[in-house]
Amino acid sequence: MIGLLLCLPAALILGLGFVWPVALLARISLNRTTDMGAMEEAFSLETMAKLVEDDFTWELAWNTATLSATCGAIAVALALPVALLIRSAPPQWRGLLSLMAVAPLLVSSTARIVGWMAILGDRGMINAVLAWIGVVDDPVRLINNWTGVRIGLTESLMPYACLVLIAGLGRLDSRLEEAAATLGATRTKTFLRVTLPLAAPALAAAFLLVFVLGVSAFVTPRLMGGGRVFVVATEIFDLALETVDWPAAAAMAMLLLGSLGLAMALRGLVAKVAR
Amino acid sequence: MSHLRLEALTRRFPGAPHPAVDGVSLELGQGALLALLGPSGCGKTTTLRMIAGLEVPDSGRILVQGRDVTALPPHKRNMGVVFQSYALFPHMTAAQNVAFGLEMRGHPRADRAPRVQEALNLVGLGALAARKPRQLSGGQQQRVALARALAPQPDLLLLDEPLSALDAKLREEVRDEIRALQQRLGTTAVFVTHDQTEALAMADLVAVMNEGRIEQLATPEEIFERPATRFVATFVGRAARLAATVTQPGLLRVGDAELRATETPASGAAEIFIRPHHVRPLRDDEGAENTLPATLSRRTYTGDLVTLDCATPAGRLIADLPGGSPGADLRVGDTLRLGFRAADLRVFPA
Amino acid sequence: MRPGWVLRLAAICGYALLLAPALLVCAISFSAGDFLTFPPPGLSLRWYAALVSNAELMAALRNSAVLAAVVAVIALLAGGPAAYAIARLDFPGRGFLAGFLAAPLLLPTLVLGLALLLALQPVKLAATWPGLVLAHAMVAIPFAVRIMTTAFGAVPKDLEEAAWTLGATPLQAALRVTLPIAAPGAIAAGALCFLVSFDETVISLFLVGPRLSTLPVEMFRYAENRTDPLVAALAMTLIIVALAVVLLVERLVGFTRAVGRN
Repeated sequence: MIGLLLCLPAALILGLGFVWPVALLARISLNRTTDMGAMEEAFSLETMAKLVEDDFTWELAWNTATLSATCGAIAVALALPVALLIRSAPPQWRGLLSLMAVAPLLVSSTARIVGWMAILGDRGMINAVLAWIGVVDDPVRLINNWTGVRIGLTESLMPYACLVLIAGLGRLDSRLEEAAATLGATRTKTFLRVTLPLAAPALAAAFLLVFVLGVSAFVTPRLMGGGRVFVVATEIFDLALETVDWPAAAAMAMLLLGSLGLAMALRGLVAKVAR
Repeated sequence: MSHLRLEALTRRFPGAPHPAVDGVSLELGQGALLALLGPSGCGKTTTLRMIAGLEVPDSGRILVQGRDVTALPPHKRNMGVVFQSYALFPHMTAAQNVAFGLEMRGHPRADRAPRVQEALNLVGLGALAARKPRQLSGGQQQRVALARALAPQPDLLLLDEPLSALDAKLREEVRDEIRALQQRLGTTAVFVTHDQTEALAMADLVAVMNEGRIEQLATPEEIFERPATRFVATFVGRAARLAATVTQPGLLRVGDAELRATETPASGAAEIFIRPHHVRPLRDDEGAENTLPATLSRRTYTGDLVTLDCATPAGRLIADLPGGSPGADLRVGDTLRLGFRAADLRVFPA
Repeated sequence: MRPGWVLRLAAICGYALLLAPALLVCAISFSAGDFLTFPPPGLSLRWYAALVSNAELMAALRNSAVLAAVVAVIALLAGGPAAYAIARLDFPGRGFLAGFLAAPLLLPTLVLGLALLLALQPVKLAATWPGLVLAHAMVAIPFAVRIMTTAFGAVPKDLEEAAWTLGATPLQAALRVTLPIAAPGAIAAGALCFLVSFDETVISLFLVGPRLSTLPVEMFRYAENRTDPLVAALAMTLIIVALAVVLLVERLVGFTRAVGRN
């Protein structure tokens, strides 16, 4: 009973700032927008149906899914060696190496994007190097397009992948690899036959996490895409604050939540079947 | 009036098939030390935690000096508890740890310091009062825990496996210290252990527990020499176990041999327990109430003891001899005669 | 087994990608040029000077700092007792509450921000202090609960039991024994909540207004429209705050343990 009492303040604040708004979001997604752009009380799936019938919605969905799948996969692939290095590092180094891998999480993503602008921009580091070598005459466009978004998103997802992989791989007994080595396996063989299969659940968990984060990422697509890259997140933002079509924004947010829920459920199902 | 009295104490954990503690009753006199001895999961720690108030019994009563404390929360019982992990507060010095109990029980500040010092002196740590627990060795932490438990002058001192975290040599030393201190202060104490040597060496009274029940409550000598049940005979000390049939009261057929025992069931199948220190090789001219021809099949030398593992017509028997005594130089394959008294056989119905 | 050179090389590439943006921000913020040019045409502190003399941005910085401090305090005060209950006490609905108090973290901040806009705008709480505090508390409280549940859970239960047997009431035992031992975890939780709020961009984008804005929002808008090194100096400010908080947490508890898994 005392336990309930202790949880009460936090639960009340969450009720006010989380349950109520999310319930309202679900409710408003059932409202209609009139031709004049005003919101009209309703209780129908009309707004949602309009979105589902629109080809642009599907284009956005496809763009968003492929973007976060590719960036997520690359992020996990790049995080794996980092996590493996941390795992095999001497204990006194592990803390610092882990810190360096997840520290970007604590730096505002906008700040990191400013860094990417300095690297990928027309006057940025890469174009400076390319010009110095003499490969190109005009600067290569690496920003304000899909390329920029992919690079930025991959980097912004990597720390999360590192976090999951460091924890997941840390639990694996490193003596298993030593055992493989004593049995005559080369480094490559050991990696492919022992490390990778053992790391598979952690890799899957990491990918799922970064995929979900990628699908709902907003700051990176908006800033790295320079307003020319459209994904579900940017569309929701524009519907809410530029067009001020709340029912459509809410409906699209509900569709996003539904798809994410479906992805999670599928993952759970696959995991169950695999077992 | 007994100092501590447990009446049919029972505790069943939710979801567990059997009660952890099942109808435990016992009485303990003022100043005595009781050992709760048993294998892990026998309910000894749960019994201790119920006495301390850390666990609530489903039924039964706990009385301290005639007062029913069953419903009291731990902070209203006056018990000193030494935890298995010592549970020293890591953010307080040794002195602050010891003072904590005095402070909580409302002793005025001025009165605390001398009593803290006294308690620490008692365990020989007067000089280390300002150290934090992590700056103390395992044995020193153990002593601080003891001083902390004793400082408020508890009605009962409860010790939960207090020696298990110490290495073998230190364990014996601390064991004797705890016993000496407990006797000097005249504190009534309950001590949980799975180590029979500890229980036998320290306790006035030993309760051997199994599956939540007390199998036997008796003095250490009685427990060892006259185990009341097969479980006690098996759990405490070593013994050769032989299957037998009672042919008539006092007489048993064991394999191809016949043995005498002072106490037997009236008839039927039985199991005999014979402790190795009761069995000895006989000289040619020597007789005994029970004698058996034997062949030495294995000899184990452990320094102060030589253990002879022998094949006899009754089955396998073990004899412990002090090193250097007659028979200790026998070799595997030698033949000999083994003898033991009828009173040393423990016979239980099979 | 010692890592092979392939692994080392791959890991170095990974680290390079992770750390390059922050390093570049640092370099460019000291640029003397007018654009985000690398290498910078010269070194100067002119953009930091520009930042300090920009009244709007300084107001946003002050807002962010005050907001983050308030949010951290609220998260600790509300989340601490809940974390203690979840870690230590047994009561009906404990599992549900533990899940519920972590739930806002499962929601994309974009959706949470939109939901808060829809809820707070009609009651005129958007672009107000109470609205922003409530919004940021949605991400800070789950963080505080999670970190402090770990911190309280790491305090051995028998320490509290020992305190009880020594005559301490449950409240005394919690305050005198468990809380001091879990204090570094609580401080870490507070520091991270501060940081979470200080860096929060997406939710704030929905809720700020012309009279009340935060630093990350101002930086976002600046980066959207202009590309001079002022934005790098701004980014550097956020990085330095993050660094200070991380160092504080690292000194107190060890960073990886504080953010550590469950």
